[in-house]
Amino acid sequence: MSVYKHNYRAYSGKITPAWTRVLVLAKYGFAEAWSSKITVGLFTLCLLPPIVFLFGIYLANNPLARALIGARGSQGQMIDAKYFLVILQIQSWLALAVASWIAPRLITFDLADNALPILLSHPISRFSYVFGKFIALFASLSAVTWVPCLLLFTYQSYSSPVPWAAANGQIAGGLLAGALIWIALLSILGLALSSWVKWRVVATGAIFGAVLVPASVGAIVTGVLRTKWGFLLNIPFMMSLLWQRLLGAPERGMERFSLPTGAIAAMLALACIICVAMLTAHIRAREVVHG
Amino acid sequence: MNDQIIFEDVSKFYGEVLGVNRVSLSIPPGITTLVGPNGSGKTTLMNLMTGLVQPSSGTISVMGLSPSNSPELFRILGYCTQFDFFPRGLTGWQFIFDSLMLHGMSDADAFQLTVEAIERVQLGDAAGRKIAGYSKGMRQKVRLAQAIAHHPRVLVLDEPLNGLDPMARAESIALFQELGRQGMHLLISSHILDEVDRISDRVVLITGGYLIAEGSIQQVRQEVREKPMQVLIRCDQPAVLASKMFAINHCVEARLHADGRGVFLRTADIDQFYSMLNGIAAEGLVKIEAVAPADDDASAIYQYLIGSDGSAL
Repeated sequence: MSVYKHNYRAYSGKITPAWTRVLVLAKYGFAEAWSSKITVGLFTLCLLPPIVFLFGIYLANNPLARALIGARGSQGQMIDAKYFLVILQIQSWLALAVASWIAPRLITFDLADNALPILLSHPISRFSYVFGKFIALFASLSAVTWVPCLLLFTYQSYSSPVPWAAANGQIAGGLLAGALIWIALLSILGLALSSWVKWRVVATGAIFGAVLVPASVGAIVTGVLRTKWGFLLNIPFMMSLLWQRLLGAPERGMERFSLPTGAIAAMLALACIICVAMLTAHIRAREVVHG
Repeated sequence: MNDQIIFEDVSKFYGEVLGVNRVSLSIPPGITTLVGPNGSGKTTLMNLMTGLVQPSSGTISVMGLSPSNSPELFRILGYCTQFDFFPRGLTGWQFIFDSLMLHGMSDADAFQLTVEAIERVQLGDAAGRKIAGYSKGMRQKVRLAQAIAHHPRVLVLDEPLNGLDPMARAESIALFQELGRQGMHLLISSHILDEVDRISDRVVLITGGYLIAEGSIQQVRQEVREKPMQVLIRCDQPAVLASKMFAINHCVEARLHADGRGVFLRTADIDQFYSMLNGIAAEGLVKIEAVAPADDDASAIYQYLIGSDGSAL
């Protein structure tokens, strides 16, 4: 037995709050997500529709510009809840493409490289790890959904010759709430599915599949059983209904299949619970034992 | 605070696969080496101790802390895993600095501790380069640096000498010995048995998930009674000495050294053996120059207790 001097001193300085450590993981996530040129390309693509709609708002509020391009009629495009609903829908589906590209980059590399033991050998929990990745994905999706939508809303409020924002406050709230619900769902779904497959391309396909395949099954259920409840498996349909209601846009042609908001909320909550269970099962810091 | 790492009747099963079974251990400060073949349960034991996996049964205490309390545990514990992972695109400096930020250090403290850790592992100017361009040895060094950077009291190192060149290996061993002397707990798994001898205060032998032996190498060797101990005696008349020693019935084997100036003797009773040897030396018939145990090293213990095929004997 050696004689120890016992002069080793452990660190005794101040410790930062736990939430700041999550931001370090979020920073890793951002770096990983944006290190790809495809991410930059997708993001650029996502900015094109808002530019088109920005031009539409400009024309709607500027009779002279309409005259210059030869647009007929004294009235321009009506800028209302329906107009913003179209913007939100386009941006939301582009967000699905962005999520299906970025989410696998955040998780599958770590799983394939066996990174979890070294990352979780710090004073952070599995929840913190997932939350850090969630922040990176959520913020990236925000940049293509509610941020451009609210910027367009702000521009319309500024450009309109009549007081517009106060009368259409529900649109701003609906844009924000609708986009937040959608990107939160996409983020947790993307991370959960990515945690199940180590191959990034498969994870990307799985995210698209998780949104579109149940919708097909729901359509079959609806057709065979002649019930509207099959649409509870149709995430795109449910989200469209939810966005219409949040923005106050009319539900034209969908009355027959209209679902209660409570049922939609319950289905989205169930999807989130399943995703959390998937993450709990797969985000673990242990080597895989075969045999 | 309790200064021991304690395993009490700990078992871990991965479904039907045995990780470790009914392990009870008490590890004091200093350097303890886990020795065992591949798949013996060394990494499982380390993962259990660091809370990365939960035991199926039993309890573990690391200096009085439960491994399930990870925020508190990882303040006092540094873990250098065997997995060669680094976040992509980072330099060695950034990796260590970010690791310290994950430990909850302020920017200023993290900066200072990063400088110190890089100096300790002698990473030098390479710290400013991207890890993707590092050699395997440099990657080991940067992993080791992130494990020691936050001044842990317990350091768990899974195969830390793998991939290091002889110079880097010697530097790492010197660092481990220095940390061990200062009173830190070091738990190291290694396949390199020669180096186990050089660095270990204690060894823990494990195979097939079962603990085979633990203690100082000499203690463990003495406990292996079914394998007579071998002693090398340097002297001027090895043949005479061998015949004298064979007169006692617990001396079971004698073999002359290749240079003719020594003899290897095996004995079943080492205490009696040394007593007889003192008598022979006192008689003056044989001039004894040196006496040294020839098989109380990690390699011999491994061979006797585990065997070359990795199954316990």
